[in-house]
Amino acid sequence: MNFGYLSKYMRRYKKQFFIALAFLILETIGDLIQPTIMSWIIDRGVKQGDMNYVLKLGGLMLLMTGIGASCAIIRNIVSSKVSQSFGSDLREDLYIKIQGFSFDNIDEFQDASLITRLTNDVNQMQNFSHGMMRVFVKAPVLGLGAIVMAFILNPKMALILVGVVPIVSIIIAINLKISYPIFTRIQKALDKVNGVMREYLAGIRVVKAFNRFNHERERFKTVNKDLKDVTLKGMRIVAVFHPLVALSVNIGIALVLWTGGLRVNAGNMEVGKIMAFINYMTQVLFALMILTRVLNMFIRAKASAERIGEVFESENSILIKDNPSHISNGKGCLEFENVYFKYNLDSGYVLENINFSANSGETLAIIGSTGSGKSTLINLIPRFYDVAKGKIRIDGIDVKELNLSELREKIAIVPQKVLLFTGSIRDNIKWGDEKETEEEVEKVADIAKAHDFIMSFNKGYDTYLGQGGVNLSGGQKQRVSIARALIKKPSILILDDSTSAVDMITEKKIRKGLKEYLNNTTTILIAQRITSVMDADKILVMDKGRIVGMGVHEELIKTCEVYQDIYQSQIGKGGVNLDA
Amino acid sequence: MRRPGHRGPVGIPGITSVKKAKNLRHTLKRLWDFFKSEKRKLIITFLLILISGVLGLSVPFLVGKAVDAIYPGKALVEFEKLRFIVLTLLSVYLLDNMLTFLQEYTVAGIAQRVVFSLREKLFGKLQSLPIIFFDKHTHGEIMSRLSNDIDNVSATISQSTVQFMASAVNILGSLVMMLYLSPLMTMASMITIPMVYFLTRFIAKRTKLLFREQQKTLGRLNGHIEESIAGIHVVKAFNNEEKVIAEFKAQNDRLRDVGVKAQTWSGFIMPLMNVINNFGFGIIAIFGGSLAVKGIISVGVIASFISYSKQFTRPLNELANTFNTLQSGIAGAERVFEILDELEERKDGDNALVIENIRGEVEFKDVTFEYKKDEPVLRNISFKVAPGTNIALVGPTGAGKTTIVNLLTGFYEINKGEILIDGINIKDYKKDSLRKIFGMVLQDTYLFSGTIKENIKYGNLDATDEDIVRAATLARADDFIIKQTQEYDTFLNEGGTNLSQGQRQLLAIARAILANPSILILDEATSSVDTRTELKIQEAMVRLMENRTTFIIAHRLSTIKDADIIMVIDHGEIVEKGSHEDLLEKKGHYYNLHQSQFANVNI
Repeated sequence: MNFGYLSKYMRRYKKQFFIALAFLILETIGDLIQPTIMSWIIDRGVKQGDMNYVLKLGGLMLLMTGIGASCAIIRNIVSSKVSQSFGSDLREDLYIKIQGFSFDNIDEFQDASLITRLTNDVNQMQNFSHGMMRVFVKAPVLGLGAIVMAFILNPKMALILVGVVPIVSIIIAINLKISYPIFTRIQKALDKVNGVMREYLAGIRVVKAFNRFNHERERFKTVNKDLKDVTLKGMRIVAVFHPLVALSVNIGIALVLWTGGLRVNAGNMEVGKIMAFINYMTQVLFALMILTRVLNMFIRAKASAERIGEVFESENSILIKDNPSHISNGKGCLEFENVYFKYNLDSGYVLENINFSANSGETLAIIGSTGSGKSTLINLIPRFYDVAKGKIRIDGIDVKELNLSELREKIAIVPQKVLLFTGSIRDNIKWGDEKETEEEVEKVADIAKAHDFIMSFNKGYDTYLGQGGVNLSGGQKQRVSIARALIKKPSILILDDSTSAVDMITEKKIRKGLKEYLNNTTTILIAQRITSVMDADKILVMDKGRIVGMGVHEELIKTCEVYQDIYQSQIGKGGVNLDA
Repeated sequence: MRRPGHRGPVGIPGITSVKKAKNLRHTLKRLWDFFKSEKRKLIITFLLILISGVLGLSVPFLVGKAVDAIYPGKALVEFEKLRFIVLTLLSVYLLDNMLTFLQEYTVAGIAQRVVFSLREKLFGKLQSLPIIFFDKHTHGEIMSRLSNDIDNVSATISQSTVQFMASAVNILGSLVMMLYLSPLMTMASMITIPMVYFLTRFIAKRTKLLFREQQKTLGRLNGHIEESIAGIHVVKAFNNEEKVIAEFKAQNDRLRDVGVKAQTWSGFIMPLMNVINNFGFGIIAIFGGSLAVKGIISVGVIASFISYSKQFTRPLNELANTFNTLQSGIAGAERVFEILDELEERKDGDNALVIENIRGEVEFKDVTFEYKKDEPVLRNISFKVAPGTNIALVGPTGAGKTTIVNLLTGFYEINKGEILIDGINIKDYKKDSLRKIFGMVLQDTYLFSGTIKENIKYGNLDATDEDIVRAATLARADDFIIKQTQEYDTFLNEGGTNLSQGQRQLLAIARAILANPSILILDEATSSVDTRTELKIQEAMVRLMENRTTFIIAHRLSTIKDADIIMVIDHGEIVEKGSHEDLLEKKGHYYNLHQSQFANVNI
């Protein structure tokens, strides 16, 4: 198992943890002394009728209580701080780790599970850490203390107490063994509930469009029921073991009474001591009950800790060089040499034998049928995935040799599926480069032909977008997305079919603006429309993961069969491909 | 990625969240509604607790009697009596623990069933909320309510129900026993009650606010987490990991700070209660001591009394503590109820019609729609199309094309005017039956995790495997499906991310074909499909559109050109309407679009 990652936090909070522990022990000592003082009060004060003694010891007891409470309050402040900080640190590190994941890693875990791990699993551990400083230590100390005090009081009778402990330990051990796998299952069931919920939220329009409410409700019901059933099972197992623990201790109490009677009869013991003994017994019971509860919390946290450990342990499939090369003022020359790629080791190649190059400032267009590997090809440039064979070079350097963050800094992508974030339009554009000025934001928005429609909103650039930019039309989203890429001033700009929802006239204007704005930027353009690619410096025609034609429009129209086909499909037969 | 849209009701027509005064009693009363079906089980639990409470109360009594038997004031221990008492005590313990088990077992069931139905109800509610609600809240935030907040309610229920009942029984019973033993000493020990009360009130007042803040912050943090993980591709593409991490940190730190405060405050209760308890104990000892000295009560009575006063103060403390945890449960419940209180989509009227055999005549009468107040997206749209007409909507992005079809399907409610299908206002139809008549291929294709087959079947759950293959073949999706490792049984990720965008669109088309709708809506249905494949689908599309009212939004001419009516939309208004030839002749907007295209192609 992989809990090694936890040692870091242990080291970090060692000092506070021990401070909390110290105060907890003081607090516990206070709790432990109280029954003894109480027995003194009864045996020496009340029974002898010594009121001064009662008052004196009563005062002492209140003093002890006061000290105990002060310790408890300090301990509480420290432990709240430590547990919340631990939870927050853990969540942060986990988040950073996930942000560093390659796409492979993310695909492997699936989003919903990563989210549950970041939220619920971290919470479980945080709760446990808090509980630990609150009662987990207190319970054994209280229990042990009670046993020690019992020994001091009367060693022979204390053996009864000692006898109870192993029995209870066995009961608890069995409990934990049975519960652990169930708690893991609870977390998994929670993943599922979160997963269905997320899909429902993301696909809400489709659900409504197809009127599939019942279907979704059923789907949710299934996972919801699973969660209920497995949680119930976990809770019911705990419900069996709690009374068993209590009963074991209770039998001990009865034994104390009986043997106590015998001893008093023999003149070996005072009645007040039996009272104290029963008090200690009750304390042991209390400690054991808490221990059972906390241990159940512990294995629940352990189940979560393991799930978190899995994330920390998973190795980034994108290898980062120790001494990466730097890009010096990138010119943006791009070169693919014999590139092969597949998504899974056991599946076939998605890209085969890809060779091409694009010089600084050139526009390279890629055209080809659905699923021919166009998007996959461009995903290799910023190393979202790594090539299986071959090399990709930027300014002559293999991308694997480059500093990853510098590499991605040079590249801007306008993805096919536009993803905008909650926030204002300005925030979304500035997302490409935080430091840019207001003028620059408007300038790139203007080039992306987004400025006009943005200004038509009452709040202009401050217009607030819902998740995914839902309140914009498809074409508007694409244009904001283009502006966001432009503001980065990249050396390489990748446009993945990013004007598909933009009308033709606007698209033309955007292309014209881009040319002026990006005279030094290498542009890679994936498009479906022949008119979008025909004035590119170089056109790649892709089919089934291979390049089947390369050149300028005039050459391809004569030599490349697939290109001719595409041309025919758009212009030849239907007259003119008129876009509205 | 800012805070999720907690922007309150900003005058969105018809959608203002009902802000009810948040008070404890109200929330508890609503929570009670979920317990109603568990009434019998609750009564059983209460009886179990009552019995076990009485049993628990008899323990100190028996212990006191045992002590008296051991020390009867004479020299000899009364063994006969002691044996009897110890055996009774053992049976009491056994019975008590059995009852505890039964009670925990029952309560676990109650808690889980209540939480189950709470989750179910919340999910059901989400289904009846208008799209606009989802536009305003991030997914993570809604999910947080479903998981974290309901979890809080669950924890509170399972702990508090038993605790409350048990505490009440114990307090009452102990009080009776204490009064029986010594009314005088009882009076003395009562001094702690007002102290407990004021302390609890003082702390609960603070924790209530803090817990609410904590849940809210947690919700926001989850919103951020969900959104940034869903958008991780873009985050990476823009090298913006540090930025989202910084945003995450800000939220996370805020959660930590409020968490520390909430924990600290609620942690104060127990130690302070302890002080009060021991204070009470001191009083009893001093008072009892002086009474015993005067010979008014026996030592055994003091011993029992101390036990009872412990049994009295412990539930009192627990009650105080439970009241505190309850605050966290209430905070969770309030956030769940907030969603349950959101205004739903228009409900079907009593006389709502079920659509049967519709012809597909569609009419917009003077329709105006504002997404945000005073920002009309559509203005006075009026048109009427005969059944079976193919209508193409063209115009610049953001002109309002998608909005027109969204209104037709009832995704959004119109502000002015009416929309008629077969001459009847869509508001008069049953919503269910209304949606059934549409088949949509949307701009944003969304596929669900599941197999390819399941995703196509989404269009019509009754479809056979042959139907599915036929639909896929018509949509030209069959070609790539059979190339997948498991063909139709290939598993798709959430959102279908393991397919290319174009392939996803082909599946969406197959899904719509399978649905066999009366009115078809194609919103950029083939925007990511290459033109050669599109040509191949063409035939299927034409057949699909035949004698079927179809709305097409597309940027490619081939489909638009053959449409019966082309409507040019600009700035939310219809600026031109007519057939391809008519509009070209007119030399207006459409003609200009057309010409600009010509110029580009150089033919």
